[in-house]
Amino acid sequence: MKQEAQMQQDSTDIALFVKVSEGDVITWDKSRIVKSLLRETTIDEATARLIADRVERIIRDSGIEFITGPLIREIVNAELIKLKLEEQRKQYTRLGMPIYDVEQLITKQNKENANVPHGPEATNLSLAESIKKQYALLKVFSPEVALAHERGDIHLHDLGFIDRPYCSGNSIEYVKKFGLSLPNALSISKPAKHPEVLVLHLIKFSAALQGVFAGAIGWDAVNLFMAPYFVGKSDRELEQVAQMLVFEFAQQAVARGGQSIFSDLNLYWEVPKHFADVEAIGPEGKYTGNTYEDYIEEAQRFARALIRVYMQGDGMGRPFFFPKPQLHITEKLFKTEGYEEFLYEIAQLSSERGNSYYVFDRGETAKISECCRLAFKLDENDLQDAKTPWKMRYSAMQNVTINLPRIAYEAKGNDDLLFEILSQRMRLAAEAHVAKRGFITRLLNLGKRGPLGLLAMDKDGEPYYRLHRATFLMGMLGLNELVQYHLGEEMHESSYALRFGLKVIAHMNKESERLSEEYDMRFVLEQTPAESTAYRMAKLDLEHYPSETREVVKGSIERGEVYYTNSTYLNISAPISPIERVKKEGMFHPMIHAGSLTHIWLGEAKPDPEAIAKFVVRTFKYTTNDQIAFSPEFSSCLDCGRVDRGLW
Amino acid sequence: MRIKGVLETSFVDWDGKIVSTIFLPSCNFRCGFCHNHRLVLEPESFEDVPLDYLLRFWRRNRDFLDGVCITGGEPTLHADLPQLCATIKELGLEVKLDTNGSNPEMLRSLIKEKLVDYIAMDVKAPLRANDYSRIAGVDINGELSRIQESIDIIITSGVDHEFRTTVIKGVHGEDEVEAIARSLQGARRYVLQKFVPHLAMSEDLKKLPMFSDEEMDALVEAARRYIPNAKWRGK
Repeated sequence: MKQEAQMQQDSTDIALFVKVSEGDVITWDKSRIVKSLLRETTIDEATARLIADRVERIIRDSGIEFITGPLIREIVNAELIKLKLEEQRKQYTRLGMPIYDVEQLITKQNKENANVPHGPEATNLSLAESIKKQYALLKVFSPEVALAHERGDIHLHDLGFIDRPYCSGNSIEYVKKFGLSLPNALSISKPAKHPEVLVLHLIKFSAALQGVFAGAIGWDAVNLFMAPYFVGKSDRELEQVAQMLVFEFAQQAVARGGQSIFSDLNLYWEVPKHFADVEAIGPEGKYTGNTYEDYIEEAQRFARALIRVYMQGDGMGRPFFFPKPQLHITEKLFKTEGYEEFLYEIAQLSSERGNSYYVFDRGETAKISECCRLAFKLDENDLQDAKTPWKMRYSAMQNVTINLPRIAYEAKGNDDLLFEILSQRMRLAAEAHVAKRGFITRLLNLGKRGPLGLLAMDKDGEPYYRLHRATFLMGMLGLNELVQYHLGEEMHESSYALRFGLKVIAHMNKESERLSEEYDMRFVLEQTPAESTAYRMAKLDLEHYPSETREVVKGSIERGEVYYTNSTYLNISAPISPIERVKKEGMFHPMIHAGSLTHIWLGEAKPDPEAIAKFVVRTFKYTTNDQIAFSPEFSSCLDCGRVDRGLW
Repeated sequence: MRIKGVLETSFVDWDGKIVSTIFLPSCNFRCGFCHNHRLVLEPESFEDVPLDYLLRFWRRNRDFLDGVCITGGEPTLHADLPQLCATIKELGLEVKLDTNGSNPEMLRSLIKEKLVDYIAMDVKAPLRANDYSRIAGVDINGELSRIQESIDIIITSGVDHEFRTTVIKGVHGEDEVEAIARSLQGARRYVLQKFVPHLAMSEDLKKLPMFSDEEMDALVEAARRYIPNAKWRGK
């Protein structure tokens, strides 16, 4: 104690300059360590002083003249560890990146995501994501959940976007009714009078939304809700608006590190039942006195105009990747005049360019699609919303994927154990969702001036983000490999294996319902769009369960290009005919409420559009498949602009 | 009957229909542009596809399938082809036959027994012995009248059909296409197929250029002078 007191006195003698984070160079002041420890951690004052003394001694003994704040912090951390103050060390953590990594990031192209262009915006995103991810794992989630993510038992998606919800389904009615009036905006627009202006509002609103959502910005029934603006307009004028809509969405390379807005346009040929009697809103946000059923002709003409634009492609004749056109098919389609011609036109688009998605809303379900496979089935409450369609704003707040093959490795062939571990992992996922909801709720509660001010904006008696309607996604990866390891057969190899796969998903579905009740949250299964997760988990398993993983992992271990089969898909490289693929994969879809999709690979051949249209209708009628898309293989040369089918 | 290959779901082999396409072995022609040459030259290098397997697939997927396309090789070389067609038709599926037209007797019998719903016959060159032999890769001298006979049988059969020519740049020009079309007058459909060099049997042909889309359009125009319902297919 005497010695310590002696040291305190000596301290003022140090002639040391400190570069502090606030951007200043100050002289050494030991009490700053004490203050910051007391501010940031749960340490007591005496210990804080002790640490400050020890740190000072280390620095003094080193004889250096300049030191930075971050380095002092690391030395403090080292002292905290010596005192076994693990909790306080965590609280005192500094987040950041090694200078080497930062330089790599700024100067080299990111090869992992082809959607992210390389540039200052993109590197800003990566740097921010890196820190927010570290923050999320340390502060938002429990150590147990964070560890499960880091080990690869589960995957928490979009950790770098921890302060945003995942994806959103939006209504054009909101933009039509309220104009473009964003919180903190410098200028406000009244509701649009002309369709061109409505398009501009829509794009700008989408760009703003992309700033607060990690994933897709979906727009429901686009052709129908825009229809009242098209009364008396010619096909040529409609095509002009369609061109504006598609090009503006496709070319807004402004969101999330300079990417295009992740946008979906949902289209209907028929007026779906839930919108037929709804009062239509027209120019200037005023009711037109008609219902949407009365605008079927304009809606259909606009749908056709959009398809023509997609068919022509961009300025170099290439397909548009965003916004994605998603055609919804309800039972009513088959009673709506002209549907065969329209199906033919959109099938032609599938055949030529491959970008149309077909969403099947059988029976009484209505759905809104968010991104390549995420869809919301609207329940009765939601259908009430349809009467005030600007309220139809939905969101999935987060996606957590469960590594299924690993469960099979751990269960070692024991059925009961397999289902037990699966339930445990789902509970972990639920805990992760509770944490995310807590965090987002905190941000939303900061109101219009808070970081999620746009989502807190209240124009119709409730915030834009309707927290009580948010869903939480339980994704799955590698069902095929789980079955393969557990039974020795892949799902396409025997009906027994396929049935076991169905049993696993049925269990997950039941568990998600049980957890929903227990936590009073909406947990639903989703087919994770998880190409990078498929790689990450396969690699981690090769590390931790090498012999088991080698038996089932797909890709090439030698080249390090390994993956698990996505979600509930059948082996993508197995020669399974498209018919059997839509049927068998479709058997899973009724249990996966947040949406599922079967991809049909077309290879090099250009299929006959009439055959494609038939395939779509038969998939609707004879299977339980929720959504299909046809994928031709395209290569396009960025240098010369040549576009070809096939890969080269 | 040995079946040497199957494409269980095809969107490209029968306009407007979803079909299974099966490949029968062997051929009496040796066309340089053949893209199934292994099936012609070394059919044994392919494993047999068991008919039972196919029947189960077709029965299970009758709801999606419109029919079965039988191609080859040259299907009409097989004496039990009618039996295969009958088996398929019993499942309620339609049958499309691809042929080079060298077996008019078989065609007549299939048509008479109502065992085919669509016939696609290749007409490889203008019906002149030299031209035809050059393309077909065998001496066609004695066969030409049989090919003409097959054309007549098909046109007058009442069975839906198309004739088609795989057009090769440097071999087929507007004159050749027009000459072929003239000999097909009365046909319901005439289709020009763009030759894809990298799939060809002969090394010489692999080096050939491809027709452009515009050139294909011009060839179709030439064909339309005799057969209004003419079009082209290909990449």
